[in-house]
Amino acid sequence: MTARVIRVLLTIAGLAALAIALSACDIGGLSPIFPNPVSPNGQDIYNAYLGISVPAIIIFIGVEAALLWVILRYRRSRQPVGYKPPQMHGNTRLEIVWTVIPLIIVLAIAGYSFNTLLKDFQPITNQQLDVTVKGHQFGWVYDYLQYGITVDQEGTLAGDVTPFVVPTHTLVKLRFQGTDVIHSWWVPAISGKTDAVPGYDNFSWLKIDQVGKWRGECAELCGSGHATMQIIVQSMDMADFNNWVAQQKSAGASPSASPNT
Amino acid sequence: MATTVLPRPKAYDDTFFKPISIWLTTTDHKLIGIMYMVTGVLSFVIGGIFALIIRLQLSQPNLKIVDPETYNQLISAHGVTMIFFFVTIFLTGIANYMVPIMIGARDMAFPRVNLLGFWLVPVSILLYYMGFFTGGALDAGWTGYAPLTEKAYQAKSLGVDFWALSIIVWAISGIMASTNFLTTIVALRAPGMKFSRLPLFVWAQISTSILLLVVGAPLAAAMILLEFDRQLGTQFFTTAGRPVLYQHLFWFFGHPEVYIMILPGFGMISEIIPVFARKPLFGYMSMVAALFGIVFLSMTVWAHHMFTVGMNVWVEGFFMLMTMLIAVPTGIKFFNWIATAWRGSIEFTVPMKFVFGFMATFLIGGLTGIYLASVPVDTQLHQSYYVVAHLHYVLFGGSVFTIMAGIYYWFPKITGRMLGRTLGEWNFWTLFIGFNGTFLIMHTLGLEGMPRRIATYANEAWAATNLIITISSFLIAFSISLLLINIVRSWRSGEPAGDDPWKANTLEWATSSPPPPYNFERVPPVRSFMPLRDLREAAELAEEPSPVPV
Repeated sequence: MTARVIRVLLTIAGLAALAIALSACDIGGLSPIFPNPVSPNGQDIYNAYLGISVPAIIIFIGVEAALLWVILRYRRSRQPVGYKPPQMHGNTRLEIVWTVIPLIIVLAIAGYSFNTLLKDFQPITNQQLDVTVKGHQFGWVYDYLQYGITVDQEGTLAGDVTPFVVPTHTLVKLRFQGTDVIHSWWVPAISGKTDAVPGYDNFSWLKIDQVGKWRGECAELCGSGHATMQIIVQSMDMADFNNWVAQQKSAGASPSASPNT
Repeated sequence: MATTVLPRPKAYDDTFFKPISIWLTTTDHKLIGIMYMVTGVLSFVIGGIFALIIRLQLSQPNLKIVDPETYNQLISAHGVTMIFFFVTIFLTGIANYMVPIMIGARDMAFPRVNLLGFWLVPVSILLYYMGFFTGGALDAGWTGYAPLTEKAYQAKSLGVDFWALSIIVWAISGIMASTNFLTTIVALRAPGMKFSRLPLFVWAQISTSILLLVVGAPLAAAMILLEFDRQLGTQFFTTAGRPVLYQHLFWFFGHPEVYIMILPGFGMISEIIPVFARKPLFGYMSMVAALFGIVFLSMTVWAHHMFTVGMNVWVEGFFMLMTMLIAVPTGIKFFNWIATAWRGSIEFTVPMKFVFGFMATFLIGGLTGIYLASVPVDTQLHQSYYVVAHLHYVLFGGSVFTIMAGIYYWFPKITGRMLGRTLGEWNFWTLFIGFNGTFLIMHTLGLEGMPRRIATYANEAWAATNLIITISSFLIAFSISLLLINIVRSWRSGEPAGDDPWKANTLEWATSSPPPPYNFERVPPVRSFMPLRDLREAAELAEEPSPVPV
């Protein structure tokens, strides 16, 4: 009996140690949540993820604990010899309880999520900068409509691609188009994915308030070069951005690029 | 274990050593069921080998074990093989074997349709693999999204054509099987086997069959339209057409298919827990109602696979709500299972271990499903390794664990021999550890931005996690080889099982192991949903003073 108790305690201790080790671990590839968001829509997704985690973790612990309890307590070897289990066929009240409680929880999650959806996932009209993002096999082309410049972000596996540059503190409307097959633009630190589908325009936006560079890549299988469709988004303050625009304009005059689209 | 071994019908003694001509032409649902299951297991092995190559390729950054073109064929073949040729086919086989016996019938309602339906399966499988010998198999993922599958982007290979034809044949075969199951269950039940006394596994097969009947045809339609595009230039899903229409048609099949692959497993869990806990199933009626709740809801959620294509937010809200509502009937099933085991006298046999392994892991798949159902959160998680982890938690931790439970539970009935316990224990623990080692940390890779279906990656931060995943995946392979060894060894020389080794509840345990071609000499009376337990209790009452069981 005591041996069994010790074994159970050891198991629990082991699991706890594992959990602590995992959470303390700072090596890559083991984060329990998205990268720190740098755009408000990404922040709202981040918050929704945290919000869902509260009931999810409670349910997880509760149900796994119930399973463990059943496994440890009701095994035949732990029951008295000749034990005859109660022959119950159901309990309407209990069954209603575990129908209604999950219903309330999922309705709450759905309501919360829908609120975020209405807030962040409709095409905006108050943008300060318009950029059309075109996906092709295998790279991205960014057209800055106001400035008549184009960034050609041809993919490489190493990810050393030409950055897509945006000014800080600026609401940028992104219009996505697919020119051959379907691609999906994804920079986890900014926000969720938006598909670039041939035939119609799809929209998203970003607003970054700090200077920096963020990586992403195409998330929809688009052919043999799928893994090379890397993305870098670079934000710089307005003065630097204007310099960059001027530089692009003077450089764009000579090479093959045809900016006016 | 070996109680009174009844003399077996002579003709059935050498079930498994029949001449090939019998195997090719038999209409016996049991032999057809065995052929379905063997086909399923072979597919599992082949699909597993594809998975191991994929994992080797991803074990470190910038590897070139296979080139991207081959890699894309491998991930597609892994998905198609596992979903279409393993899980669905194996489950059809187990139902083909068990459903007629469980309802006290002699065979399926249409034995020749059953024969044709089965033989279409190898045709479908061979058609798919033809792609590998004709310039390259399907390389757009098992979902085969247009326009990537259109002629313009797949000029040289015939793989997509063979895949589309293969899936059309598969859908026809599935529709045949579903019609047959429904007719059998409606028309051939034994006297006393009212609908309210059907075993839950049979109820699960009714719901699965309804789903496949409804969604099999749209799948075939999508494939036919895609073939029209490729061969006749019809422009349904091309860049100039409506690529998203393909996604709607595909997922109208694709999401219910998930339930086609898990509901029979739910049925098995509902059969196995009462047997080993020595308690009746808790809440029979709500279990049946929950099945049909899932059937209905599963047909109203398909667009949750498409939250990033840019639909109207109200439409997305609808699909989000319906998706989350599936948690309610699934929750009912979960709580009823726990309540069934609660205060029981549980014998942790190998099938029961797989049942609890299933519940522990499927719970994680269900909870991550809530995150994925939330549209904003899904736009982050969609098409990332988080989704790969989620789908393996529901399909491997879900379907495969239930299939394993079913194999260990019914192997004695099918072969007349017990499946070895020691190897079974090893099989369970290595699979449980290997599975969680492989798929638990995949979630975090997705959260950090690793998309699914990339042939390789340059990001060094993902290297350690991917290596752990690859090592664990080989533990899964080791575990599955233990299962195969166990099956072969036990089939040849396992401990004789007798008719009813588990002291079970349902009719299949009333006949010999393996059952004779006609299943029953006389169908026992059915007065509840646990007819065999009724018989056993009546017998115990009759010969009251027998303190020492033989």
